[in-house]
Amino acid sequence: MAEVVLNGVSKAFGDETALDNVNMTVPDGSFVVLLGPTGAGKTTTLRMVSGLDKPDAGHVSIGGRDMAGLTPAQRDVAMVFQQYSLYPHLTVRQNLEFPLKSPILRTRQSVIDQKVGEVAEILQISHKLGNKATALSGGEMQRVSIGRALVRNPSVYLMDEPLSSLDAKLRSDLRIELKNIQANSGATLLYVTHDQIEAMTIATHVGVLDNGRLVQFGTPREIYENPVSVYAASRLGQPRINVVPADLFGGAPQAAETIGLRPEHIVQGEGEDSMVKRVEHLGDQTRLHLAFKNHDLITVTDAHTELSEGDIVKIRPEKPYYFDASGARVA
Amino acid sequence: MTASPIQKMAEKTPPGMARNIKGLSDRTIAWIFVAPTIFLLLAVNIFPLIWTIRLSFTNYRVNRPNKDVDWVGLRNYERILNDPDIWNTMQATAHFLLWTIALQVLIGFALAYLINKKFKGNDLWTTIIVFPMMLSPAVVGNFWTFLYQPQIGLFNYVIAFFTGADPASFSMIGDVHLAPWAIIIADTWMWTPFVMLICLAGLRSIPDSIYEAAECDRASKWRQFWTITIPMALPFLMLAVLFRGIENFKMFDLVVQLTGGGPGNTTTLTSIDLKREAFEKWRTGYSSAYAVILFVTVFGLASIYVKALNKVKER
Repeated sequence: MAEVVLNGVSKAFGDETALDNVNMTVPDGSFVVLLGPTGAGKTTTLRMVSGLDKPDAGHVSIGGRDMAGLTPAQRDVAMVFQQYSLYPHLTVRQNLEFPLKSPILRTRQSVIDQKVGEVAEILQISHKLGNKATALSGGEMQRVSIGRALVRNPSVYLMDEPLSSLDAKLRSDLRIELKNIQANSGATLLYVTHDQIEAMTIATHVGVLDNGRLVQFGTPREIYENPVSVYAASRLGQPRINVVPADLFGGAPQAAETIGLRPEHIVQGEGEDSMVKRVEHLGDQTRLHLAFKNHDLITVTDAHTELSEGDIVKIRPEKPYYFDASGARVA
Repeated sequence: MTASPIQKMAEKTPPGMARNIKGLSDRTIAWIFVAPTIFLLLAVNIFPLIWTIRLSFTNYRVNRPNKDVDWVGLRNYERILNDPDIWNTMQATAHFLLWTIALQVLIGFALAYLINKKFKGNDLWTTIIVFPMMLSPAVVGNFWTFLYQPQIGLFNYVIAFFTGADPASFSMIGDVHLAPWAIIIADTWMWTPFVMLICLAGLRSIPDSIYEAAECDRASKWRQFWTITIPMALPFLMLAVLFRGIENFKMFDLVVQLTGGGPGNTTTLTSIDLKREAFEKWRTGYSSAYAVILFVTVFGLASIYVKALNKVKER
């Protein structure tokens, strides 16, 4: 297991900038989740670390060693591909055995069998081991793909949206399993997703990418509670942060253009009037859709609230974020 | 409401015809469409086959139509299978088949593997390599006779250049030991590109991401080749072998142009021999039996092979 450092890494595909001077340190034994919409450079970052693509500029080092010119095999990385990339002519068992059958490793067959059995158990695919890799559902293929990484003990795991095709229950099961595996083995894990619940629940660190630039890197709490920009703030939090003009409420700093209000930044019962447009009972919480001076706001309230459509609620902001015209945080 | 073009066309169909068509079931219409093809197949494939089988039990000679035709039972078959000359011909054909297939698959796959690497101008190279395939076999046979010319032939010159032997000291076409190789070389030159194209299709069907996964799984290039490239391209390779096998079993034009079956009978392949029996010696009944034997051989081998191919494809 090892620390991964990206130092000024840039990459362009033709005219398209995929990564722009990314500096990031993935601490040894951490679980780092890269967040960002499609095209932000998440997958490209993984490919830079894996060695499948070369950076145009900058360096990648793993465990203190510069990785320039080294192949994925030499870097000893295990990767889970978004498109699964299973070996279609092999069975599930053969797919899982493949990384262990490397002649460099000389792993004994009994060890291989045990390892494959364990991983299949965790991923709930034991009953599919004899199947052809092509005779599986999308979710099963994805689990085999994860399994192919987990049978190994690499310097770093790279996972590209590994849970995206799974149903909700399996996804939350495997989220916990992955977290356990990582915590118990002390593995370094770099993980790409655009599911913010995944990011919040399993990450020790979150990297927020925007158009190839790493805009913020820190613990999920840091990014949630202290976002550097509107963009970073809107990556995390459900319901999403409300962004409205800064002068909607009084007391905004000079440079502020917009004000960002997380649901818990809206205090109810004091301040100015707003009208309830919709009430969503989610069980453990209730969401309120409010209309405030022609702007829509979403906040949460008591699960057993008596409020209903058309009611008037007084609200005021509490410790909101202020952003300037470019979206950067000013207060 | 404006009528659609299809509606307009439908309206132009004369009412009588429309009524008749409407009365037909889907099944009948299907038969009407298939019938011409079935008729053609029966007329040019199935009927001649059955007729050939019938003739193979007679001593019929097509150049003596007025002579009485006798049923000779299995005598034609007996004579063919006991004829050492025919066994020699079969051996020559087997030799030709095995070597051409082996060489073409080997070289064709190697070329495809190289062309598949992304380099500048690989499309141009593909086109250049494919040229021989576009020529007529008769033309190829003809100009290889020039290449094999001991005095002026380029082939002999090149061999001489590398071995230091006198180019006029050997004749690819005239020598009993070299002639079988002369036809193998010419056929390989002509048809390797075909095998290459099929192999190329096979290699292109393997997605890059599979190799990337293997790269991450620390499989060496060597291991990737044997555990991914070969198994995944195997159905295509087998298809190439099937095509070339069937084609070369009935090889005629190229070899007739090049060696005419000689020297002696060394390059007399079965199809050449059969043509002589049927249309030079006019032994129609006898050659019919010969043709039936060849048909059963090819058909049997091909069906075994296709079964194997399907098994590989299912994997």
